Amino acid sequence: MLPIIQEVMADWVKAFLDPGKRLFWGYLGSALLIALLWMILCRQDHPRQAFKKLFAREIWFSGSARADYMVFLVNTLFMGSMLPRLIGHAAVATFCFTLLHEIFAGRPILLPDVSAFSIALAFTFVLFVMDDFARYAVHRLLHALPVLWAFHKVHHSATRLNPMTVLRTHPVEAIVFALRGALVQGICIGVFVFCFGEKVSLIMVLGANAFKFAFNVLGANLRHSEVPIRYWSWLENILLSPAQHQIHHSIEPRHLDRNFGVALACWDRWFGTHCYSEPDQSLRYGLSNPVANPNSFYSVYIHPFNEGARHVQATIMQTGHWLRNLSVASHNLFCRKTYHENEPS
Amino acid sequence: MRTKYLSVLSIAVLFGMSTLASAQTYGPYPITLEGYSGDKADSTAYTGQAARQVLHTSLKKLASQGDGSNAAELKQQMMQYFSGKEEGRKIIAPTSRDGFTIVQSEVDQISKGVNLKGKTYKGVVNGWPGKMTGPEVIEFMIDKAANAKRGFDPVTGFDYPQLISKFAMGAVFYHQAVDNYLDEKLEADNKPNDKPYGEGKHYTGKEHSWDEGFGYFGAPAHALDLDANQAYGIAKMKDQAVADYNQDGKVDLYREMTYAHAYYAADSDKAGTDYLRAIFQAFLDGRQLIADANGEALSPSQRAQLKAHAETIKTLWEKVIAEAVFKYAGSVYKDLEKLQTIVETGGNANDTFRAYAKHWGELKGFAMALETGGKDLGEVGTRMNRLIGYGPALLGGGQVTGIDADGNYQIGGAKDLGGYMVHMLKLQKLMDDAYSLQARKNDATGDLEGLVNSLSEGAYSEND
Repeated sequence: MLPIIQEVMADWVKAFLDPGKRLFWGYLGSALLIALLWMILCRQDHPRQAFKKLFAREIWFSGSARADYMVFLVNTLFMGSMLPRLIGHAAVATFCFTLLHEIFAGRPILLPDVSAFSIALAFTFVLFVMDDFARYAVHRLLHALPVLWAFHKVHHSATRLNPMTVLRTHPVEAIVFALRGALVQGICIGVFVFCFGEKVSLIMVLGANAFKFAFNVLGANLRHSEVPIRYWSWLENILLSPAQHQIHHSIEPRHLDRNFGVALACWDRWFGTHCYSEPDQSLRYGLSNPVANPNSFYSVYIHPFNEGARHVQATIMQTGHWLRNLSVASHNLFCRKTYHENEPS
Repeated sequence: MRTKYLSVLSIAVLFGMSTLASAQTYGPYPITLEGYSGDKADSTAYTGQAARQVLHTSLKKLASQGDGSNAAELKQQMMQYFSGKEEGRKIIAPTSRDGFTIVQSEVDQISKGVNLKGKTYKGVVNGWPGKMTGPEVIEFMIDKAANAKRGFDPVTGFDYPQLISKFAMGAVFYHQAVDNYLDEKLEADNKPNDKPYGEGKHYTGKEHSWDEGFGYFGAPAHALDLDANQAYGIAKMKDQAVADYNQDGKVDLYREMTYAHAYYAADSDKAGTDYLRAIFQAFLDGRQLIADANGEALSPSQRAQLKAHAETIKTLWEKVIAEAVFKYAGSVYKDLEKLQTIVETGGNANDTFRAYAKHWGELKGFAMALETGGKDLGEVGTRMNRLIGYGPALLGGGQVTGIDADGNYQIGGAKDLGGYMVHMLKLQKLMDDAYSLQARKNDATGDLEGLVNSLSEGAYSEND
């Protein structure tokens, strides 16, 4: 077998074996367990009925789900080894580290008496929080800027949610995510190593950031599912529940542009996009104005480029028009003679 | 069953031991020179190079013996070891001590009539102020060292034993090997293999040219028997049994000692590289190729193979020096970190400044050595020299910026400790980018890269 094919197949398998990834079998298993317990204990479903609902054919074999699987396979094929080479986390970290030396004229090591574990805990927590904020901010941009929305809407074109939907991502969007990761992680590492030196390390569980591990093991995969697990209101003010993320995918007008966050709810609350889950919510997912055949290869991979290009073109024309108006206005203001100047003396 | 396992184990151990015992040494090689009728049986010869190794170690030792009152006498003594050729010069270092007995006590016991100056790089050294040639730089430093207490000048931060030693290792050994013996002397018409190296010699032109390159590298002839720690430890005179390959109860400074860049290759190798063995193996392969030619002129294809071995040696040798520049830039960075804290808290900086000056001297010496390999370093060389400057950043600000007509240092500029730390960071990055380093000892960025790697999940397709 060709090495490249072996590599791609290994990447496909690795997606389910790597605890650093959302689809790690352990996280899927914990999500299944949580969903079952919730359905049996809170919804009073019979276990068999709960299983049937969770593995419903109309979810897992829907056109939407089949498109999710296609995107997973195709993205791994074309992007598996490319993205890590594109993005220089180390370059950002080193730049930041060096820049701080110049700004502070040297390097004062802070808190020399604090234990390495405390520094590692702080680093792991700050990295998790900063990453969560960056995800919120970029997510809002993806919805706010038409050119980015053209690519992000591929994710929102899913009409049935399942854990694989998390990977329903256009490659251009994946590049945006990679840049976001490089920036946030690079800056965090650069600043922490500058301030605390060799004490900085990442607290990991099974090779993943401990906080991220906790987030994933506590049912992160249910965000992209049709199991509307809700939290108490007070908890939904702190952490976003799966049901709250499902609201983000809802096509109800009142749910538009709500709950952009990933783990923490504070960003949505502070920036006015927070929305509590609703009891017994039964939502329809997808786009308000869907494209034709949203699950086709063309709609997923090619159409966003066309739409993005149209937005870029429109922006350029709009800018040109605005500049022309500005130029005419300036000319009128500074170059034309006034009425009084034209008056016969 | 147990007996069977023991037998298998014994055979394995014996096989391992025999393999170990049969690891190839550099020499002896047979006489191949056609028409030779003398009584010599070994064509290997690098005694002149070994003698220069001990001239260098002795000179370094002498450079630290100034006491403020013996300048003229000390300078004269140092010059004997740099430019003199007189007989009777004692080996100042290394010398025998308890548990580590050395065969030779005089330079002449290794080779007579050799000096360092005659083999020193004659080009202008850009990294040192005053546009001096290699020998001029060393003589200037010798003069300054003789006038400094223990070779250290607290005003400029110059540590002359380190500066002299690290630069001389490059300007003599590295320069002679990579820019002469492994370069022009490999051409067909230069020291051919079907003629003696010189009149009356028992080895051919190519045999001795190659041996001389090996001698300047400074590895013990049994280096393949040793791991990095053992090869390194010989230079530190740690374990006589490891050094004493022929088991005569003494260590032979000609064939059993680790010197100069072989020592620094071993130092890098302790961090996981394989420079010493790779360079040594290339020397062995090249020497075997010459021996196999059996005294005939090398064919174009043989010379091409020999040049390929030489290229391996040159590339890795340069890397060894670049690794040392990287390492000492990291040491200087860490010293600066400590100095900043001491300055801020008003503590006594004397000891830290002394360590800083030592590390800076090593850094500067290695950086200047890189210039002497016979190739234009181009932008890398220019940037390296600018980042290091002519002297270490001083506690009160400024650094040495030049030398006046009377040979006195000029101190100026506004380089502060923090700004100099940035220079060290940039220098490490420059070395790493230019030479693709592997050991990267004392990396000032700490574990930035390790942290980055621990975070690179490659999960960028995961949506929100």
